[in-house]
Parts: sequence; structure tokens; C-alpha cells
Amino acid sequence: MSDDLAIILTAGLLATACGLLGPFLVLRRQVLLSDAVSHAVLPGIVLVFLLFGSRAPLAVIVGAACFAVICVLGIEALRNTGLVHSDAAIGLVFPVLFALGVIGVTRFAGNVHLDLDSTIYGEIAFTPFRTWELFGVEVARSIPLLGAVTAINLVLLGLFWKELKAITFDPGFARVNGLRPVLISRLLLIAVAVTAVTAFESVGAILVVTMLIVPAAASYLLTVRLLPMVAVSVAIGWVSAVGGYGSAVALDASIGGAMGLVAAACFALALLFAPRYGRVTRLVRRARRRGGARLPVQG
Amino acid sequence: MDRLIDLLPLDYTESVVLIGAVILGVAAGVLGAFAVLRQRSLVGDALSHATLPGVCVAFIATGAKDAPTLAIGAAAAGLIGAGLILAIERTGRIRPDAAIGVVLASFFLLGIVLLTFLANYNNANQAGLDTYLFGQAAGLLKGDLEVMGALCLVSLALVTIFFRPLKAALFDISFAGSLGLPVRLLELAMTAMLVVAIVIGVRTVGAILMVAMLIVPTVTARQLTDRLSVMLALAGLVGAAVGSTGALISNSSGLPTGPVIVVVGFVVAVAAILLAPGRGVAWRAGKVLRERRRALNEGVLIDLETALHAGAPPTVDELVLTSGRSVSGVNRALRDLDRAGAIERDGDRIHLSEQGAAAVHALLHKRDLWSVWLEHGWRLELPDAREPDPRNLRQTLGDESTERLLDLAAAAGRPRGPGPDPAGEEGR
Amino acid sequence: MSDGGERTGPAGRPPALEVRRLTASYSTRPVLWDVDATVPAGSLAAIVGPNGAGKSTLLKAVVGLLKTDAGHILIEGRPAATALDRVAFVPQRDEVDWDFPITVREVVEMGRYRAAGWLRRLKAADREAVELAIERVGMAPYARRQIGELSGGQRQRVFIARALAQEAPLMLLDEPFSGVDARTEAALLDMLAEFRDEGRTIVVVHHDIGTVRARFDWAVLLNVRTIACGPIAEALSDDSLRRAYGGVTGGEEVEDPTWIG
Repeated sequence: MSDDLAIILTAGLLATACGLLGPFLVLRRQVLLSDAVSHAVLPGIVLVFLLFGSRAPLAVIVGAACFAVICVLGIEALRNTGLVHSDAAIGLVFPVLFALGVIGVTRFAGNVHLDLDSTIYGEIAFTPFRTWELFGVEVARSIPLLGAVTAINLVLLGLFWKELKAITFDPGFARVNGLRPVLISRLLLIAVAVTAVTAFESVGAILVVTMLIVPAAASYLLTVRLLPMVAVSVAIGWVSAVGGYGSAVALDASIGGAMGLVAAACFALALLFAPRYGRVTRLVRRARRRGGARLPVQG
Repeated sequence: MDRLIDLLPLDYTESVVLIGAVILGVAAGVLGAFAVLRQRSLVGDALSHATLPGVCVAFIATGAKDAPTLAIGAAAAGLIGAGLILAIERTGRIRPDAAIGVVLASFFLLGIVLLTFLANYNNANQAGLDTYLFGQAAGLLKGDLEVMGALCLVSLALVTIFFRPLKAALFDISFAGSLGLPVRLLELAMTAMLVVAIVIGVRTVGAILMVAMLIVPTVTARQLTDRLSVMLALAGLVGAAVGSTGALISNSSGLPTGPVIVVVGFVVAVAAILLAPGRGVAWRAGKVLRERRRALNEGVLIDLETALHAGAPPTVDELVLTSGRSVSGVNRALRDLDRAGAIERDGDRIHLSEQGAAAVHALLHKRDLWSVWLEHGWRLELPDAREPDPRNLRQTLGDESTERLLDLAAAAGRPRGPGPDPAGEEGR
Repeated sequence: MSDGGERTGPAGRPPALEVRRLTASYSTRPVLWDVDATVPAGSLAAIVGPNGAGKSTLLKAVVGLLKTDAGHILIEGRPAATALDRVAFVPQRDEVDWDFPITVREVVEMGRYRAAGWLRRLKAADREAVELAIERVGMAPYARRQIGELSGGQRQRVFIARALAQEAPLMLLDEPFSGVDARTEAALLDMLAEFRDEGRTIVVVHHDIGTVRARFDWAVLLNVRTIACGPIAEALSDDSLRRAYGGVTGGEEVEDPTWIG
């Protein structure tokens, strides 16, 4: 497998995994919660490293999932006191977890190979060089890892599609009809944490958060139904992956960064020119209407 | 500033860090309130992340790495970010959290891209910039403190001078606008305050953790007072206390300052939430428990009276059966009632004492009063906006109004008396 | 009382509020289109109409909270923008953060900020006005409570006190009776009628035609356009109600028009 292909495939799988989850985060207004979760998993990674001395993916993922749950439960607990608003609760819990992670790293792991930098902003350019042997073939390990996560997310969506749709649209109705919105919501966030941690290694935290939020937000401007929203979100993710790689190679810039910026550009385009909700399209429509349109007379 | 540094019984670097942490605490505490109280704390998170590309661009543009230049870069990026968030929200479709998220992620990514770009081309020179990511209090210089301190003082002065318009805008922006206040300007001012707080603090705690410093002091102070002016002052104090404690602990333990301050802050905030008198979780839980206990005791007392009226004094088991309550509950209540002198035990049978009989009487009267209120209260004119508490109508309405209520009921044909017969009560 | 055609109320006062050809829109559709309305001085007037009819928008336009596309608004014959000191606005309560650290008295004090000057301390006269307003609405025993501790009806009284403290001849209230118990609603209506008897003009956005018929003097029936404007009997005739509610509505002010999902 060529290096280029390995990188693009990694990015594409990441885009798919994130693009599947992102729409639900946007629709359920859990965008910032997912950002918090992706920060909060740091102590999980550190703890696993300290306890088991390795960065074995599976252990790390479990550790991350645990801390994702801790983060969410902590935020909910604060909110349920009735004394703290949701946004303040989020802004209190994830920093303290992240701070504990940083303290853990500098205190216990500073001299060993667990650097914060790569966790935050990784480097996808290195993925071809971190390989595994699978069935006798050397493969960039991010590909099977991200492939597995993508598959898991697909399965999650496939199994719970109706429920996800219902709880996104009307959580109260869903609960009354036995659809367990809380459980599914937690599963969603755990999936976010797992995706984030798996992708940290290859692309770093910040790109993961970007790929979770930005394509989905752009897609929200371009669609009105759930299935197309998910599909478009994944599509925009791929566009960002390929486009980002291409421009990064051409400009000799950070690949991950370029991908994120392409995603942001897609969002900006959608914000302005989306056929129904774009700012510019609405201004044009409004101007056309004012210039002579009449409101139907009543009565 | 030199004098202040010399004053402290620590070595130079540690003093600088301590002072920096205190200034951070005060600024983030007071200025952060203007975001937290509008539920825009996470805008603070986004703008904190936005400082990263801001300082990079400032460096690229000017080649200088001194505090004021970078501060301007950070501030500019913050304001642009805030503007973008508003612009995205204004399109209507994208909700505030998504707008904040998009700006946060995009700006931060841009910052990382610029940072790595600088690292590739400019090795030594960019070294100072990534301290904005995780904070590096030890890197603070006296010059930095002077800038931070000046910004902080000016901001506090402005907050004091313009307290009234700010308070009105914070609480009820529509009303403030209807009074002729320039609403957009005020919102801009509050955003600017947020940016100033972030610029002051981000060197110490870093872009990722800064949001906690904006929130901790306000959340803590809110648990301790109901008045905005007091709250702001307390927030400043709490911020200073958290900052200095964190700095001292970090000095003595060698742990990184920013994270330690955040952990200390979290502990303080949670402590306030749990323990605040009159409002905190522990206090309210205690109140709920006391209420439940009182309701249980009253219920058992009335069940006892009912049983006594129906026949012989009951045993505990009979009481449990007729009341439908749990054995432990009934026993607990009986212990309380015994201690209060309301019951008398005679072997395994239970009587009401004289005191107890009077208590039951009063209880039944209270319940009856509530029924009277429900039936006739709508005709009663109250002297002010008081509202009756079903558990204690006489006390919450006042004697005079209660008497008038009873008069109304009597006029409508309801017998006026101390209370209905228990049979009537049971029939309900 | 004057009939719909006359422009001045008793004692020849100019109409408290006059709206001419007012047009205002949200992003995609007009919410008020060429609206004409008059409210005579010294009346207790209601603005009624179906959801999305622009009732709240009208009030917000009067106090300058919205940009309008076209038209004029006159308060006591003067352009509204210059007469803000003659109007007191009681907005809807849904945007308030009840956990905000502020007491009853402090909320009512805000009504004096404009008169006292934004940067100066409240004078004795201001404080007196505040206390009087608090007492008038019956909230004197609660003056030091934080607003979150009050019931819905008590909270609404506080906001009316704030408007009273402004000492303005025109009071605008946006859905003041939503979320308020029946007893308080009756008490508040009595209060508003008293304010009217003292010479103020009260304009209330309300959804309950029955109450409006029973207690109010004047009605503006709105559905993006003015359907009727005049004394109750005239404005709320069966015919005009049918035209306002029975036909095509102006549409809801919905931001996400279709979420099919």
C-alpha cells in the first residue's frame, strides 16, 4: 500500500466514523459535550499507561470510555443539583479531568514516550510508518483500528436507527414509549469517546473534534432529513480528507490541519450558499420578494 | 511591581507566578461572570482556544514575541471569533452550541497548523508560543505582570463605573433595550471583558483549561450570595484565593501550575455547591429529610388518632396494618413522638397523651383550613401577594386573613369550628 | 369612550400609541405587513390574534428592540424613538434566568435607572418610587427575596412593579398572564384597570378573547395585517374574529420549518 493511500484511507475512515456520529451530536445539541468528552479522556489514557505500561489500543480505549462516562456523569450530577447551568457544568468537569491527565503525564510519565503534543495534534503523516502485521501483510495500523471503529459506529446506527431518530426529535416521547433515551445517549457519547481515542493516535484530538462537528454542521445546513444528513456529513468528511491531503501536499503544510481547514471551508460555503438556508441565498430571495411581490390579501 | 515581588517571602520566580495567579483569579472571576451569568461560558472556551492562532499570527506578522504584541494578537483573534459565533448563530439554523463548536474547532486547528508551520521553519523562535496551549506560569516576566495588572485594574474600574447598565443588560436585555440602552454595544462590551480575562489568564493556565477559571469563581460566589454586586466581589476574591493556593501548591510540589489551579478551583466550586448554607446540596437534602420525617410523624399521629377513635388503643403491628406504612417507618415515628411527649405506651398498646391529642387536633384543623381555602379562598381579598402554604395556612396567610376566610366560609353555611370530626376527615 | 374613527380620547389627548403602515419581517417572511393601529389615551387595550400574528413583534417594534422595514410609530404624537421615556415595557418572562443573583427590590430599581441617570446613585425620590411600586403590587413582604424563590404570579407582579417605577404614561405588557394562576390573573387585571383609571394607557398582548371581551376597552385584532382596531364590541365582532382566526393564518414564526426526520 502506498503511503499516500494509507494516509487518505486513514483520513477517510476517520471522516466516516465521525460523520456517522456528528449529526446526532449537532441535532441533540451535544456538540460541546462531545468536545468536552474528547478532552476528558486524557486521564484515562494516562491511567492505562501507568497501570499497564503500554499504549495497547484496546486497553486505552476502555480507559478512555470509562473517563468519558465519568465526564458525562459528572456534568449531569452538577446540572441535577439545580445550582449550575449546563454550560457551566461542562466547563467545570472536562478541564479538571484534563488537568488531572496533564498532572499525571508530567509527574509520572514525563520521561517516557507519552507526549501530550501528539495526543493533541497528532500527525497523520506518520501513519504509514506505524504498522502492524496482519495476515502477513504490513499495514498501517490506523487503518484496521479506524476501520473497526467505523464498523462499530455503523452497527450502532444500524441497530438503533429508529431509536436515535426518535430520541433526537422528541426525547420525552421516546422515554414514555420505552425507548431508553438516556441509555442510547450514553452509548452515543461512548462511541464518540472511542472514536476520539482511536483517532488520537493518528490524527490527534483536535482534528477528531473538528471532523465530528464541522461536516455535520455543514450537512445540517444542506439537508432536512436525517438519513441524507448523515450521508452528506460523511461525504463532506471525505471531501475534507481528500481535498485536505491534496492541498497539504501541494503547499507542504500539515496534512491534518489542511483537512480540518477544508472542512471549515465547506461549512463556510454551506453557511453562505446552501440552497435553502444559506445566508446569501436568503438575502437574494428576500430582495427578489421585496422588489414587487405582494402578500395575498386576506378575507 | 518590584516592591510587591520583594514583599513576598518567596524567591523571584515563585513570587511572579503567585502574583500572576492572583491577577488571573481576580480578572477571570469578575469578568468571567459576565459570560457565566448569560450562559455563555463555553464561548469563553472557544475564545480561549482562539488565542492560539491569534498569537501565531501576531508573531508571524511582527516577528516579536513580547507580551503586549501577543496579547493584542490574542485579543484580536478572540474578538473575531466572538463575531463569527454571533454571525453563525444569526443565520438561524445553526444553534449556539454548534456555532461555538465550529469556531472553537476551526480556530484551534488553525492555531495548531500555524504552530507546526512555525516549528518547521523557525525552530527556536516559536518555542514561546506553545506555552499558550498548556500555560506556563514559570515563563511569566515582570513585564507580563505589569500588563496583566494594568488590564485587570482598568477592567475592574470600568465594571464599577458602568455597573448599572451592565447589570440591566445581564439580567434582562430586552428591558434594558426598552430603556434606551445600546444593547449591541453592551453585548460587545461584555464580550470584550471576556476577551480581556482570557488574555490575562491564558499564559498561566493555557487555552484548554482557561474556561474553568472563568466559571469556578462565579459558580462558587453564586452559592454564597443572592446579590450581584456582592457576588462579583466574592468572585474576585475566590478567584484570587484559588489562584494563589494553586500557585503555592504547584511551587512546593513541582507540578504544573495551570492544572493545579484548575483542580483547586474545581474542589472549591464543588465544596460550595455541596455545603452552601440555605442553598447547597447538603443543606437541601437535610431539609428534605426533615420534611419527610415531619410528614411521617404527623401521618402516624393521625393514624393513631383514627385507630383510637375506632376502638381500643392499637399495638404497633395493628398500627402498621391499618396505616399501610412500613414497620420501620412507624417505629421511627413512634420514637420521635415518644420523645416529644405526644404518646404514652401502655404495655404494647399506644395511647395519645394530652399533648398528643392537642397536636392531632391542631393538625386536623390545619388540613381542614386548606380545604376551606380551596373552596372559599378565591373570594378572599389578600392585602398583598402572599400565597398560602398548604402545610401551614394560618402562618403564611396571617391570622387576620385566616379569620376572614373562616368568616367567609361560615357565611356560606359552613359550620365554623375548631375542626371537623374524624369521620368527616376519613370520608374525604 | 370614542369610537374607532376618532383619533383623540377624552380631554383631547393625542392617542397614546399610533402605528402607521408598519412592516417588519424575520428572515424569510413578513411578520407585520402594513399595519395601522391606534390606541386612545387612557384606555385598557388588548392586542389579540392567532400565533405568529406579530403581536409581540409589534410591542418590540414600539420600544425599538426590532428594526422595522417601513412605517412610523408615534407615542403621544411624537416619534417613538424620541419618546422612550413615555413608555414602560414588560417583556415576556420566558427569557429570564430565575437563578440570577438579584432581589425583588433590585429588579424594581431597574425601572428608575433611566430617570436617575445610568451612572449616578439613586436619589431619595427614586427609592421612594421603588418602594411605592413594590407596595402597589403587593410584594412589600418579599422585597428582599431572590426572584427564583417566588411563584409565577409573584414574579409577574415584580415585573409590573418595575414598569410602574418608570412612571410612564404608556405601559406595554407582552403576554403577562401566561404561567400565572387564575387568582393572580384576576388581581393583575384589577390592577391594570386601576392604572387605567389613574390616567395611564395600558396595552396588553393577550390570547384569551373571553377575558378581553369582559375586561378591556379597546382591541387591536392582528394577523400580520390589522383586521380590526377599535372599541371591544366593534373590533371583536364575529366577522372580524372569523377573518383573523378562521382563514389563512400568517404562519408561525418557525425557524426550522420542516424537520421531517
